[in-house]
Amino acid sequence: MLRYAFQRLVLAVPVTLGVLVIGFTLLNLVPSDPATVRAGPAASAEVIAQIRTEMGLDRPLWEQFLRYVGNVLTGDLGTSLVNNMSVADELSRAFGATLELVVLCLVWALPTAILLGVLAASRRGTIWDRVIMGGSVAGVSLPVFLIGMILLWVFGYKLQLLPFTGRGGPLWTLDGFRHAVLPSVCLGLIFIGPVARMTRTSMLETLKADHVRTARAKGLSERVVTFRHGLRNALIPVTTLVGLQIGYLLGGAIVTETIFSWPGVGRLAVGAIVANDIPVAQGAIIALSLGFIAMNLIVDLLYAVLDPRVQAK
Amino acid sequence: MTSPISSETAAGFPGRHLLVSLGRDPVSCIALATLSALFLGAVLAHWIAPYDPLAIDMMKVLKAPSLEHLFGTDGQGRDIFSRSLYGLRVTILLGFSAIFVGGTVGTVIGLVAGFYPKADTILMRLMDVILSFPAILFGLAIAAIIGSGTTAVIIALSVSTTPLVARIARGAALMALAHDYVSSGRAIGLNDWALLWRYVLPNCISTIVVFLTLRLGQAILLGASLSFLGLGTQPPAPELGTMAAQGIGFFFFAPHVTLIPSFVIFFLVLSMNILGDSLRDILDPRLRS
Repeated sequence: MLRYAFQRLVLAVPVTLGVLVIGFTLLNLVPSDPATVRAGPAASAEVIAQIRTEMGLDRPLWEQFLRYVGNVLTGDLGTSLVNNMSVADELSRAFGATLELVVLCLVWALPTAILLGVLAASRRGTIWDRVIMGGSVAGVSLPVFLIGMILLWVFGYKLQLLPFTGRGGPLWTLDGFRHAVLPSVCLGLIFIGPVARMTRTSMLETLKADHVRTARAKGLSERVVTFRHGLRNALIPVTTLVGLQIGYLLGGAIVTETIFSWPGVGRLAVGAIVANDIPVAQGAIIALSLGFIAMNLIVDLLYAVLDPRVQAK
Repeated sequence: MTSPISSETAAGFPGRHLLVSLGRDPVSCIALATLSALFLGAVLAHWIAPYDPLAIDMMKVLKAPSLEHLFGTDGQGRDIFSRSLYGLRVTILLGFSAIFVGGTVGTVIGLVAGFYPKADTILMRLMDVILSFPAILFGLAIAAIIGSGTTAVIIALSVSTTPLVARIARGAALMALAHDYVSSGRAIGLNDWALLWRYVLPNCISTIVVFLTLRLGQAILLGASLSFLGLGTQPPAPELGTMAAQGIGFFFFAPHVTLIPSFVIFFLVLSMNILGDSLRDILDPRLRS
């Protein structure tokens, strides 16, 4: 297992480097000059040149890239052009908020999606199956902002059951949890559809397999057959899909954070782009991409836990 | 023995069996009718929109839906029905442009990677790097470089579609290359490009098209999300995501301004997804059997 984990980690290195190259290229492609933005509109040419030297923008491109990679590795992502605050500090605060949202979403949405998929597969062709599958197609067709606005309107504004703006505090406090409910439900609803569908398809394949027939022939209860012999094998392709869906989830998180004023990385990135604050935008985009790579790495490891053949390969 | 599908195809136009199969499923029929109505509305917007989509009327601000204004009016008194028709046009064009560009580039990369083992590793690792940027992040990044707007959304959606299509095309190409007709083509002296164009591509195209029909809905949702964030089509131009975002300020007392364009997107994507699923069921021989 350790060897497999190490192999996956090594494979993630070139992808991470690629992300850094793209992140660096972005900064160089932006038409506005960071030194001019930092110096302000009234600055003289000398001041701009001095800031340019301080920021290392007068150095050759390859040197700038190496310096940039070195800085990223040591956690130095520069300072915001708008408020002069450290980008790493801003990101560390925002990243926690985004992670909280994604984790809370996965905690409720993943088991729900799998259970719905199992239910649809075990009652194939019934009204349950049709309702669940119809709901999942509708779920993947809903714009995130529509789900968010409806939740906000019904549970936040009309019924006044839950707060709908900002983050109340850490997730483990009551106020923090109450604030996180609506955004995480919004995010989870876009996640359930594809995972439930994949679970159903995968379960239908597995339930036809010989080992399931043998389990039934042994006289095991339907519940044991479905969950122990069927679901465990059916989860393998579902895990792959979950890895692919994480990117979609992060995209959804960016919109969700904007709707619910959740102070996460996505909202930080959108605000930075609108304000032309390139170091913050660049840092946020890299942080989200690295988060995506890390979550896929975790999914790869889970894949190996579920399917020992993967480790053997 | 002639299969029913081939006899139908022989009897009518090439897509006839598709339409016949779709016609047997009532849900697909409703989806096809909805999609056709939405497409017609978008194409004929210039003739059927009752008002100018950009005409401001401060005397009719935030009016609820009525006979005079079917979908009501927005914060500047503009007719939401007329804006939705024009917005639909932009939203659909965004999705199709991205699918066309990303689909074409992805297919070329996938076929080349499948055909030339030496190029395979480099091309597919590059695709992996691009895949590690979720689509919406590309949108943010490209908006940072060239500024917010429709072009930024099309580039972002095209770039994020490319690696997905490349993977599908490569897989399909590898399967096609294993067949005898490719060796036969080589034996009669065809060069690589002729083999790819005449033998490999036609055998991959249905898999790629089915994937693209399923991707189209996602592309439209992503495009609308980017516009909703203020990074896509800029006001006053009508685009459904932008229109939904413009209603947020009045959401608690005039929710129709946000909800109506959002529901138009929902019905558009829902009908595309239902049809995409049906198309896959019809064209995928494994599912058909």
